[in-house]
Amino acid sequence: MELRLENFTKRFGDVTVIENMDLTVNSGEMMALLGPSGCGKSTTLFAICGIHKMNGGALYFGDRDVTTVSAQGRSVGVVFQNYALYPHMTAEQNIGFPLKVQRMPKAEIRREVERLADLVQIGNLLDRRPAELSGGQQQRVALARAMIRKPDVLLLDEPLANLDAKLRLEMRSEIRRIQRETGITAILVTHDQVEAMSMCDRIALMRDGKIVQLDTPEQMYRNPQSQFVAGFLGNPPISFLPARADASLTLANGQTIERPPGLEAMGDVVLGIRPEHFGPQHGTGLKGKVVFVEPQGREELVDVRLDGGGDIRSILPAGDPIRPGETVDWGIAPGTILAFGPNGDRL
Amino acid sequence: MTSRMLGIGFLSPAIISVCIFFLLPVLLTVVFAFTNMSTSTGIMGGDYRINTEQLRSLPDLDVSEATVERLETAGFQITEAGLTALADQFSKDTAEELREDYLGETFESRRDLERVLKDLDEPIRRTRDRKEAADLFAVTLIGERFGTEEEFRAALGTTGIDAVDHDVLTEFAYTGWTWTTDNFSLLMELPSTLRYAANTAFYVVATLTFNILFGLFLAISTFYLPGRLANTFRAIWFLPRILPPVLYVLMWNWFTWDNGFIATVMGWFGVPAKNWMMHTSTHAWTAIVLINGFVGASLGMILFSSAIKAIPTSMLYASEVDGANRWQQVRYIILPQMRWPILFMTSYQTLSLLTSFEYILLATDGGPGRSTEVWALAAFHTALNNYGGNLQYGFGAAYALVLVFIGIALSVAYLRFFNFKELLSKPRIEQ
Amino acid sequence: MTAHPRIWHLVLILSIFSTPLVIMYVYQVIDSIASPDPGSLIPGEIDLSNWRFLWERIDMGRPSIWMVTFNTFIFASTTAFLVTLLSTTAGYALSRLDMPGRPYFLGGLIILHAFPTITLIIAIFIILQFLGLFDTLLGIILVKAALELPFGVWIMKGFYDTVPWEIEMAGVQDGASRFRVWWELVLPQVKPGLAALLIISFLSGWSEFVLPLVLAPGSSTQVLSTYMNAVIQDDASADFGLFKAIGMFYSIPVIVIYLVFQKQLMNIYGGGTKG
Repeated sequence: MELRLENFTKRFGDVTVIENMDLTVNSGEMMALLGPSGCGKSTTLFAICGIHKMNGGALYFGDRDVTTVSAQGRSVGVVFQNYALYPHMTAEQNIGFPLKVQRMPKAEIRREVERLADLVQIGNLLDRRPAELSGGQQQRVALARAMIRKPDVLLLDEPLANLDAKLRLEMRSEIRRIQRETGITAILVTHDQVEAMSMCDRIALMRDGKIVQLDTPEQMYRNPQSQFVAGFLGNPPISFLPARADASLTLANGQTIERPPGLEAMGDVVLGIRPEHFGPQHGTGLKGKVVFVEPQGREELVDVRLDGGGDIRSILPAGDPIRPGETVDWGIAPGTILAFGPNGDRL
Repeated sequence: MTSRMLGIGFLSPAIISVCIFFLLPVLLTVVFAFTNMSTSTGIMGGDYRINTEQLRSLPDLDVSEATVERLETAGFQITEAGLTALADQFSKDTAEELREDYLGETFESRRDLERVLKDLDEPIRRTRDRKEAADLFAVTLIGERFGTEEEFRAALGTTGIDAVDHDVLTEFAYTGWTWTTDNFSLLMELPSTLRYAANTAFYVVATLTFNILFGLFLAISTFYLPGRLANTFRAIWFLPRILPPVLYVLMWNWFTWDNGFIATVMGWFGVPAKNWMMHTSTHAWTAIVLINGFVGASLGMILFSSAIKAIPTSMLYASEVDGANRWQQVRYIILPQMRWPILFMTSYQTLSLLTSFEYILLATDGGPGRSTEVWALAAFHTALNNYGGNLQYGFGAAYALVLVFIGIALSVAYLRFFNFKELLSKPRIEQ
Repeated sequence: MTAHPRIWHLVLILSIFSTPLVIMYVYQVIDSIASPDPGSLIPGEIDLSNWRFLWERIDMGRPSIWMVTFNTFIFASTTAFLVTLLSTTAGYALSRLDMPGRPYFLGGLIILHAFPTITLIIAIFIILQFLGLFDTLLGIILVKAALELPFGVWIMKGFYDTVPWEIEMAGVQDGASRFRVWWELVLPQVKPGLAALLIISFLSGWSEFVLPLVLAPGSSTQVLSTYMNAVIQDDASADFGLFKAIGMFYSIPVIVIYLVFQKQLMNIYGGGTKG
């Protein structure tokens, strides 16, 4: 079911946290609300749940206006960061609770619970209480409980934050699988760009209560609309170098780079160079000295301090015998330089 | 159900009981402090009446002798009531004749009335009878009950009592309570006021000091003892806190009275038996401070122990690695962390020590003499339990009012210990 | 902590201070079951005559101990039940429910929690006379429950505060009303708090002395504390054996609760609360 948020405004006391935000999530789509903490993504989630009241604007599930409908009256399933399982109930009672509230007959509840338990693959754990379940299993129970009412929208609030690294990887694909299988419209709230990029169809990147860019993960990575977006996405992060644009691009340290085609701006700019686009495989052009090498197994990160100042980072396949102190002259892949104006907008 | 409705439903029973037993009593303490309520005035209001015994104290109020006489006998009037009595005690015919000829008539003196009685067709013959019969028609206010002030004043008017005395007599005749500020002027005048205040100050400061120092000592020392030993001492010191006060003080009585433990042990050394709790005021104060102090130290130990437990052990290990000895560890690591618990304990205990009198009541009851009478106990004795039998609610309330004011001021100050932001933060579910 | 060689210093000092208490405890038990031996501390033979108050009136005009015990039990348990009931709802409202004036209620609660209620006893004495509840068990039950209420609400609010908000949010999201969320999802999380409050307010009621002394002085409403006090006051010969036996009898529930729940009780009292 399509979800549409129009002119959404939220205030806490005198502080306006979100002003006139629009957001449309297509039916069956998984959308990420991504952003640093305090950007308003959780506030948006709570407004969609109905836990927070909206101070302005409207919310539609399909054609139904649910702006003033209470949380109980909306059909929204939520998975919370700490799962919020009811500690005194078994997994089965947890999953069945939403149906029990609806006074569904017991046998039917039992059948539904088993169906969901199969979907999230915890059929053998239904008698256990949350304290007897591992983090990943609790997560699956929470997911089943959120989905048993066949909600219009599924909301996931930092669902992976409390898991260790290995489980996180596993649950990432599990959640995506379940969302695809059921075709449910889902919103994932996260501050982790890897989660957002790997799990979602589209990402809404938020900052200070505004959506700064809404795009597919690939587009957002390759084609960021602002310096903030470019800096937020990518791990290891992009390097920024201030420069002056005239006939060519003159870096602050005096070195020059060729103007990328299509760049029309003149004057002060900030160049963004992703680490995979800088290295010996891209020829020569920027001279500097290696100041730090961080091996990561498959690849290694190399920090280069450019002659005359400015740091730039490269990511290289492991095995290159590069040591700190070495002087290098590496190039930038053609057509990959991102340029931003003084206000941070993409040029 | 919205949370607003639910909230009102959930809170209202508590709010009602708070209103009846907190807010109303606070207000009434103020109100009562400005009255002369006591056992003799009652609490429900009263009527207007002067009886024979009270007549003697009237001259003290600068009421003229003529007025007192007039109160007793204000003259004579032929009334139906008098006639009925006359018919019963003497003769129906006489009464009938008197009614026909004289009903409603008044006589200035008994002699005038006696003459009438003698001159009737059916006269009362004997002089002594005439005197008695005349008295049946005497108009007097003594012993008569008037429901309202107006009635009483009207009666005063008919007796012809000098109007200058009306106000004094009305006030004098009122048997219920009245508004007055006398309680406070009395508080200012009585030398005992200062005495009780000084007693209270001494009691609070001494007990509080003992509570905190000894509570800290208990908490810190049991912290360094191995588990079982520490638990034993904690158990010994926790008990005073939860034992019923009556039993706890009884144990102290046994310990200190003249047939008790100390007296017995001292007896072995030839010291004559005496009551070690009540012998002198010094003995009494020592007992009071220790009895309250042990209970307070018990609370202090529990409070401070849990505060010490909250100190991260890594901090203590680090200080040991840094070569700090025990004393330095206590001085530089533990004590600085105790600042808030100590402040909390101080403010909280000040308030409860100022106002509680349970243990003192049970142990010394303010004695010997009045040497351990603290303010709160004085309020209790004045209003609720004195030997004279006349409980002075109004005066007691004036005592209590002082404590109520201090209590409100200190508990508002105590609000500062709590996080205001937390108070003002909104619940996270908005419905 | 590592064992310290000079730890016996501490043990010695602690022991010296603890001796009076330990002596009191020990003789409290001994004297209640041994015949008193004046001028000596060595107990005589086992003598249960101190406990005669259980099967006979110790003097004329005193109510039977069983009626007094029954009164005490009714007083303490009804008070505890009332306090727990009202605190359970009010604590939840203050902890979780969005309603007008909530900060003022919370501020008022803190002030009441600190406020020394005993100063109000004169006014309460007169209020009970007005209400016709003077010298009735119901009167002191209502007063005691009301005076304990701020403490109870405070404790329960503390317990509710530790329940994660997400559990309630999940319940609301699952379609349950706020009342149902409270009853079915939140209340089970604060059961330990309910138990603690029940126990503490029962103990407090069981030990209460001043309220019954002032507000219910009649013999038909006597409770164990006032009964014991009256026996001590009226007995000129200071028969400590009898007093201590009554004391033992009186404190049985306290001792039992103390032995069973000592650790939990210390934790509750240690949370910076009144008690």
